[in-house]
Amino acid sequence: MTEIEKLIQRFKQAGAYVISNHNFKKEGLTVSAVIDASQLKTLAKDLYRQGYSLLDLSTLEVKEGFLLTYHFDKFEKPGRIALRVLLEGPGPIAPSLYEIFQGAEWHERESHDFFGVKFAGNPNLIPLLLPDDFQAPPPLRKNPESLTSLAALKLFGSYEILSSRWETIINSKVENIS
Amino acid sequence: MNASNFINPFSIREDEGSFAGDFYTRNFERQARKDSIILNLGPQHPSTHGVLRVLVELDGEYVLRAEPVLGYLHRMHDKMGEVKTPYQYLPNMGRVDYLHPIAWNWAFVGAVERLASIEPPKRAEYLRIISCELNRISSHLLWWGAFVLDLGGVTPILYAFEEREMINDILQIITGSRLTMSYFRFGGVCADCDSRFIKLTKDFIPYLRERLKIYKALVTDNIILRRRLEGVGPMDTDICLRYGATGPVLRASGLSSDTRRNIPYSLYDNFEFAIPAGPSNDCFGRYLIRLFEIETSLQIIEQAIESLPDGPILIDKAPKANYKLPAGESYFAVEGARGQIGVHLVSDGGKNPYRVKLRSPGFSNLSLFAEAAKGTLLADAIAILGSLDLVIPEVDR
Repeated sequence: MTEIEKLIQRFKQAGAYVISNHNFKKEGLTVSAVIDASQLKTLAKDLYRQGYSLLDLSTLEVKEGFLLTYHFDKFEKPGRIALRVLLEGPGPIAPSLYEIFQGAEWHERESHDFFGVKFAGNPNLIPLLLPDDFQAPPPLRKNPESLTSLAALKLFGSYEILSSRWETIINSKVENIS
Repeated sequence: MNASNFINPFSIREDEGSFAGDFYTRNFERQARKDSIILNLGPQHPSTHGVLRVLVELDGEYVLRAEPVLGYLHRMHDKMGEVKTPYQYLPNMGRVDYLHPIAWNWAFVGAVERLASIEPPKRAEYLRIISCELNRISSHLLWWGAFVLDLGGVTPILYAFEEREMINDILQIITGSRLTMSYFRFGGVCADCDSRFIKLTKDFIPYLRERLKIYKALVTDNIILRRRLEGVGPMDTDICLRYGATGPVLRASGLSSDTRRNIPYSLYDNFEFAIPAGPSNDCFGRYLIRLFEIETSLQIIEQAIESLPDGPILIDKAPKANYKLPAGESYFAVEGARGQIGVHLVSDGGKNPYRVKLRSPGFSNLSLFAEAAKGTLLADAIAILGSLDLVIPEVDR
């Protein structure tokens, strides 16, 4: 079993909603998985034990909520992988990865600054890049009318959907667009 | 949802008559010991690069805790990416990191090309490699001068600037600018090189090799420098992985990792060059790694200049200002002078990108400082800070 297959199996064990195989040449990712927020810390710990490092956290605001993409890399083959978590509803909150990857503290503070996403367990969730007296909505939040649905962004490469909820998110909206 | 939601136990602000420092100082003080001193290094201090501010808690000369405070040079490049077309946004990249602008050019252009399935011509790839490596050398040279300056050696930076000027002169021929270069275009580069560029570059390589010998005799073998750096600020691979540190910091820790090799992009696979790792994970190890990287960059330039192919430098029908990206996402990572630079681009098929996320290596490298500085002498903390090679506009974006 290759390393990628092992990873995919591990993601499936953890109840991943969507597993995507990406074309590295085109997307710069090898494999990504949408998981439940409750599984994030367990999987991150697994990746840390295998020598992965958390390189980046990018937040994306879409119609469905906030999609957090955690980029991990091991500095050898198979290259970059990503874990995604969708935070739905008002008052988005995700578990902090500070206990496993201390570098996550700043990435999470940045996401808090720009999007207002909260991270439970972050020891110091104060403004990082914005001033402490910044009095406006988080600057990267979009107007409701300019929000796009996840399906329209085509983020998932060649995917395998393992949850009926995600079946609706990914498939029904595609029909709307076409 | 706004910034006032933060837990701020100290409601008095500076301008309301408090003398106890600003929000960050007071937040930092909450965990302080009673008998310690809180000191602000920066944001306007000669030994912190640019406008970095570091809060330190001191017991005598020893650092108990440290916390960098960022944002003094924050320009919200992420937002600018969403309100401009990719073509309009491209010059921003030269301004993210003014010491290695070409690598940032590359990261963004690469992300766009990946998403749009564009393959640049071979000659353009070679010119990209040559300019990027020349720029890497100039960045390392400035770091070298500034780092030794931090430690109290004033002369070396004058030597470094002499060589840096020559590189600027060379890069000016093709990029048209000396600092915030914007040389890349989607599908190639904006200008071809001429015979003068090739001659100057060819002459520069042996010249710099001679100068590197002087650097070694003057600085690297200097006993005062060695005493200031050897054994100071050790960072093992584990701490680098936990904080996402990359580049020379990670390589000095003993892991031979380089984006040019691990996730090869462009034509780097065609060139012979070593990825150094070690020999030690202290400040001196990071110092040696960077000097060695100047040599590896010279090797790459030498090979690229020798085998520079003929042909076009830009594809036909290269994307212009009104170009619309297809929907999708792409991530492009390149090896900058400070580590892995990444651009995460998401498009919904509209005029402007839906989201641009810049990953700057300095940001992650600096986040490691608080842990590395714990328990060191204040003067050693400054050495550690310098050994991370920080460029604040890149950290703040």
